[in-house]
Amino acid sequence: MKKALKKMREDWILYVMLFPGILYFVIFHVVPIIGMKLAFQDYRIIGENTWVGLKHFQILFSSPAFIDVLKNTVIISTMKMIFIFPIPIILALLINEVRSGPYRKYVQSVSYLPHFLSWVVIAGIWISFLNPDGGINIVRNFFHLPSLDFMTSKDHIRWVLVFSEMWRSAGWDSILYIAAIMKISPTLYEAAKLDGASTLQQMRYITLPALASTVVTVFILNLGFFMNAGFDQVFNLMNDSVISKVDILDTYVYRIGLLNGQYAYATAASLFKGVIGLVLILGTHFLSKRFTGKGVW
Amino acid sequence: MKKFGLWFMVLLIIGFLAACSGGKDDVAEKETTKDGKTVIKVAYKDEGPSNPVAVQYYEKLAEKLKEEKDLDVEFELVEVAQGDYAEKLSLLLNSGEIPDLIYFQGGDQQIANQDLLEDLTPYIEKSEYLKDILQPHNASRLENYPYLLWVKSIDYKVPVVRKDLLEGLSTADALLADPTPENYKAFFKELVESGKVDYATTVAGDISELNYIFDMAFGINKTWLESDNGYVFKKISEQEKAKLAFYHELYEEGLLDSQYLTKQWDTKEDAFYNGQAGVIVGTNGKVVDFYNSRAKEVNGDQAELAILPPAKGEYQGFGASDITKESRGLAISAVSPNKELVFEILDYLASPAGQQFDRLGFEGEHYNVVDGKAELTDKYYAEWYARYWEPVETSFDTPVSEKTPMLSAPAIESQELASSFFAEDNAFIIPEEYVAQWDAMENLYKEYSADIITGKLPLDAFDEFVQKWNEAGGEDLTKLANETIK
Repeated sequence: MKKALKKMREDWILYVMLFPGILYFVIFHVVPIIGMKLAFQDYRIIGENTWVGLKHFQILFSSPAFIDVLKNTVIISTMKMIFIFPIPIILALLINEVRSGPYRKYVQSVSYLPHFLSWVVIAGIWISFLNPDGGINIVRNFFHLPSLDFMTSKDHIRWVLVFSEMWRSAGWDSILYIAAIMKISPTLYEAAKLDGASTLQQMRYITLPALASTVVTVFILNLGFFMNAGFDQVFNLMNDSVISKVDILDTYVYRIGLLNGQYAYATAASLFKGVIGLVLILGTHFLSKRFTGKGVW
Repeated sequence: MKKFGLWFMVLLIIGFLAACSGGKDDVAEKETTKDGKTVIKVAYKDEGPSNPVAVQYYEKLAEKLKEEKDLDVEFELVEVAQGDYAEKLSLLLNSGEIPDLIYFQGGDQQIANQDLLEDLTPYIEKSEYLKDILQPHNASRLENYPYLLWVKSIDYKVPVVRKDLLEGLSTADALLADPTPENYKAFFKELVESGKVDYATTVAGDISELNYIFDMAFGINKTWLESDNGYVFKKISEQEKAKLAFYHELYEEGLLDSQYLTKQWDTKEDAFYNGQAGVIVGTNGKVVDFYNSRAKEVNGDQAELAILPPAKGEYQGFGASDITKESRGLAISAVSPNKELVFEILDYLASPAGQQFDRLGFEGEHYNVVDGKAELTDKYYAEWYARYWEPVETSFDTPVSEKTPMLSAPAIESQELASSFFAEDNAFIIPEEYVAQWDAMENLYKEYSADIITGKLPLDAFDEFVQKWNEAGGEDLTKLANETIK
């Protein structure tokens, strides 16, 4: 303990820098945990809340609508995890291979740009891009394919969510991997080149193994947000024709909790979501530790 | 040891925070300024302390209350966070901060259920002016739900079309003389075939706006329709099925915008102004007034709006008006120490002097008195709107000059037409325990109706929808309706 305190005194400047981060987590992540007790109460604005045990959970799990939104959340999150997670890694590897400095900067800037747009703007762009007279359908018509209304199609709407999220986040998320690649010693590549390794072989045997721990950490941390299938995105891209395919836990909680004022019920749904996230993050961490020796800590 | 220390710290923080989140007070304390004025807290959409016009409005209102009623008040405008007003207001109130006077745009029922809104019935009974300006629908709504007050003309939406589009269409006369759904369709068809528009009509995301025109004609005259087996919810009725079949025809023939599902209110209005859509639906009065001035601004004076009648069939009208409660309006906090005073202010705003102030704005700025009449300025038309009561009949101390009418001719016509078709609904407030099921049932309707209209599902799928709707809680709700509706 004394040793730890001594170390803290030595590195005090680092702890000062850490303080705003800790404060943020306490205010926005620790305090709301206390509020979660609302899931077991009936809420009163004035006066004491009454404890109702698992009443809200019983209503929640017996509601067919909840089962449907849970199913949608899992499907959409799984699709995003499978199809979006590898893209920033691939993008980072490709950007790393661009030799022209200005072109590399240009590619990076263009790929980061969508991250700074709000979902309201992105939804506007994608809706006009995907409508029957939009860009995609002009290309389809050029190849004599019929127009498709992607936004109202139950078969396509989840893919619209996946690709729009991919477009928005791939560039930004690749920063972490590009930074990890930058840390790799150039001497490894030089030695590989002398040994006659091709570009692909250098990627396979140097870059990818060096990225492994970053990939595992990011993957496990992402799993913690598995049940957040993207409220802003779904809210802005949803329409009446596709509710049954894209209505997720967050939009359900928003409607029932915030719009209809059922705060306790909505808190029960949120708590359930949080517990799933915790189980996933801990489960994956311990599994990863056991099989690869790498985890979040 | 390290782990123990870590957990101990976490528990300490949680314990400290839990201790801080203590009990909630039952009664608000009366607040006064240094010079003895009573502080009235007001939560109103877009009327926060950062809005200079709102600040000026309440300062002037306080002055008038002092001059004319000898009331010493100071208004404190509560800043409601940016974003969806109903949602942010709900969060504010649920945090325990309850202003004296609250404007609601939804979410009031949950607050009323906790006995936090004052029953306005006794106040209105003994009021000097308010009881006389209540519109028939206001009185009915107050009888059922006495917490929310909103004296405005009936809030029906009416269909409008630009007069320059109407000219030369042979079907227009038939439509105006006998507005059957068939004549509407023929008119829509000619409108599109004339090449003046891309599609005859559009709506913002769902068909609720279109229903204002066609519901009654298809026999949907109430939320719960009478049948041989008791009351049936309108959305699962045979009448609804026939209406959806008609909407599908409109969609198939390119008369209803093929992109209506992804339209928002702003893109809907843009489509109207730029000539893509011929007919849109807007709330009578001020909104039609706005559409009219914008259409003329974009397309010239010849683009003045014409108001179309509601479709005529089994019944005619803009639908039944929900009289269970006001959907928006003002409420007084039941825990406010200033309830009487707040109502006195609301009553003053219903008086001729209060009405003139609230509806015409500031003298010398929004209107000038010339020859004993109020002549409205450009600033009035550009920025002024009544915050409180707008009964159809006006009663100002200074009458408005005929040279500067408050509303354009189409807007006045829309108000008159809407008022002439007022019909009471038999809907009842959905009990809190049905909220989750109601959400699921509404989603079922939204999806099936959208799919039937757009042809993704055949009309026969309506029967499947009815079955699913009943299973999702509809059966219980129908039973409740048959017990509740007298």
